[in-house]
Amino acid sequence: MARILDLAPHAAIYAGRLLAEAGHDVIRVEPPAGDEIRRMPPYLGGRPDVEHGAYHQFFNAGKRSLTLDTSTSEGLDVFRRLAATADAIIGNFPSRLNPEVFHADQPRTVIGLLCNDESPEICQYARSGMLVLTGQPGESPMLLGGHVIFAATGLWVGVAVASALVVQELTGAGQIVTIDVQQCLEVFNEQAIGAYATTGRRTNRRGHRGAITAVSGAFQSADGWWMLSVPTTADRWFRFLDWVQDPVLAADPSFAEEEHREAAKDLILDRLDRWSLSLRTIEAVDEAQRQGITSTPVSTPVDLADDPQLIHRGFLREVDLPGFGDVRVPAGAIASVLGRPISLAPSLGQHTTELLAELGYDEAERTALSERAII
Amino acid sequence: MSVVGLPATERSAVAPPLAGVRVLDFTHIVAGPFCTRILADLGAEVLHIETRSRTEGVGVHADQPERRDPRVHRNKKSITINLKHEAGQAAAARLASVADIIVENFSTGVMRRLQLDYESLQPSNLGLIYVSMSGFGHTGPRRDWTSMNMNLQGYSGLMLVTGSEGDPPISVSNSWNDFIGGLHAAFAILQALMERKGDGHGRYLDLAQAECSIATLGPLVLSSAVNRQDSARLGNRSTSIAPQGCYPCAGDDEWCVISVQNDAQWSALTLATGGSPLATDPRFTSVVGRLRFQDEIDEQLRAWTQNLSKKDVQTRLTAVGVPAERVRRADEVVNSDDAGRVFSLLLTPGSSKPDLAAGLPFSLGISETRPPEPPAAIGQHTRKALAEWIGLTDAEIDELEARGALV
Repeated sequence: MARILDLAPHAAIYAGRLLAEAGHDVIRVEPPAGDEIRRMPPYLGGRPDVEHGAYHQFFNAGKRSLTLDTSTSEGLDVFRRLAATADAIIGNFPSRLNPEVFHADQPRTVIGLLCNDESPEICQYARSGMLVLTGQPGESPMLLGGHVIFAATGLWVGVAVASALVVQELTGAGQIVTIDVQQCLEVFNEQAIGAYATTGRRTNRRGHRGAITAVSGAFQSADGWWMLSVPTTADRWFRFLDWVQDPVLAADPSFAEEEHREAAKDLILDRLDRWSLSLRTIEAVDEAQRQGITSTPVSTPVDLADDPQLIHRGFLREVDLPGFGDVRVPAGAIASVLGRPISLAPSLGQHTTELLAELGYDEAERTALSERAII
Repeated sequence: MSVVGLPATERSAVAPPLAGVRVLDFTHIVAGPFCTRILADLGAEVLHIETRSRTEGVGVHADQPERRDPRVHRNKKSITINLKHEAGQAAAARLASVADIIVENFSTGVMRRLQLDYESLQPSNLGLIYVSMSGFGHTGPRRDWTSMNMNLQGYSGLMLVTGSEGDPPISVSNSWNDFIGGLHAAFAILQALMERKGDGHGRYLDLAQAECSIATLGPLVLSSAVNRQDSARLGNRSTSIAPQGCYPCAGDDEWCVISVQNDAQWSALTLATGGSPLATDPRFTSVVGRLRFQDEIDEQLRAWTQNLSKKDVQTRLTAVGVPAERVRRADEVVNSDDAGRVFSLLLTPGSSKPDLAAGLPFSLGISETRPPEPPAAIGQHTRKALAEWIGLTDAEIDELEARGALV
């Protein structure tokens, strides 16, 4: 288990959560007023304070919190003493501490730094080439919601830092790892890049409708949305027809061939739109899966909170959330697979006292730091 | 346990992180191969089990069986084994007994039927790290559900979190979900390798790609579980700054995004767009006002952008410090000075035009990593791997070939 100082901005903060799920001692070093991410809505219970931001609650779960004003020389001293005990440091170093100099002084520590991360999220997404692929054909391109592209870049940071931790464990050597946030996003666009390189062709956004097989897409049901893609073979089509019982679709024998379905896809999908409105999502999906058709509900986050598969797998874990009672929270993709629940997100500065004591600051010193708003 | 203070060992830190690590790769399509290619780029010896007897899957072209995909195949060795053949299964089991890592993404039960599941292999390989990457996991009421990228984009919540209120589900037209699953798997493997150093024991990791994707939406899943209510869909907007959006420019499907972070940038924007009426409207001087009247601001911004090229919009705004970026396509990523540097030209066997392959988007200060190399031909390493990994002689390999176990 490594000790990891986490000063990551939003584009890398998921790395610290992943490392906490993996069992490391992750310490979030925050300014005394708290991380910016604490102020990002939505808020649990609608409470707009520094403890209830959902992005903070999720990404900082499993971590300890130390508040420190590293812009002061006393604060910087505290940071140096803490950093001397760290196996890894991720994110923005205090401005008066040079990572290269730090690495030279403390070559055993892994340092994870970001570059090319200054632009706003939507600009980075546009520059990667993926924004043009997101959304409906003929409509505006759309930024992926929930700031997921920053969760994805944070995932790359986690992989990068973990690979350096592997080297550290084998050799004792640390190193500076530089993660290019823009390049992280470009890698996800490699399919369109490859298609351009080999064929000169541009990839357009296709939306969900008919995007996989001819008879595929998301359909509105009586109680939400669901997705399916009917395989290209004739026998699957006939079995599907048997279920749908649509006289117009059954009347054209040429639809047994996928290429004819492709040519008539608007008609077919329009008929299925109408058919779907009377179905309940979960019954439709269950029936489709029984027929060997790949199908899922199209969820909103509320739908996922009661999902039986996620509950069975332990991905949704019941916890006592102060102020809210028993709630099922997402345990994390890594924690649930390793069977290691992590703690809830820390309150602001919750572990400042214990960490300073561990570093050798006595009560008088801690009080002095607190009075001067260093911690 | 902290490793600070541990003396340096004989192994050099310059070696790639996964040098000497053997990965037996049973993956196919996108998510699995993406995970194992990251391991290959980090220096692992990845032996990809392929077969000429199957024709589905990304990277396999029925009409061009020799065509290789650098996204799937690069930096890996290729062995052809017919897993439906008893002798093929036996060969695979022997390879597994000397592997550090196995990765597979077959449907539930497939590896067990082949006697290549963790329970079968672990007794003769205590250090084995075995990763399954199915859609929903190999346990639970939906373990037999089939899945693919687009379905998981929907199932994970991404498609209804993206877009504006009233929009249908919104997708991204690439294998987004597979990349997320592959990256989580790579992270889990790196972690398992670190833990194995302690007691020499590996473990079984039953990863669900759906859970990986849902985890990236963790904050909204958490808030919806607590509040019992979904947040509003924001489209291209922000909850904290305005204006932000994607604005139509001259030409077919050409756009520029603009994201005004503060009042000073707003001022600069109003000057750049010709001033009134935006500049003089007191409702917009503060962000609170701009957030409230976004519809009106966006309408006026669109009136300005639609007559300009997206490059023009970007240039004019960035010149005065306003964040703006043209919505690029693939050619505009790789043909620009300020983007595309993660890609390198790669000549792939069986392909007439050079491809562009993405390397790792990070650099390690000391340890080497492998840039993308032209992929091996299918089955290129069959003989070599069987000899090196499990000591088979030429005669023994000939016999396996004759029996049809190595197609």
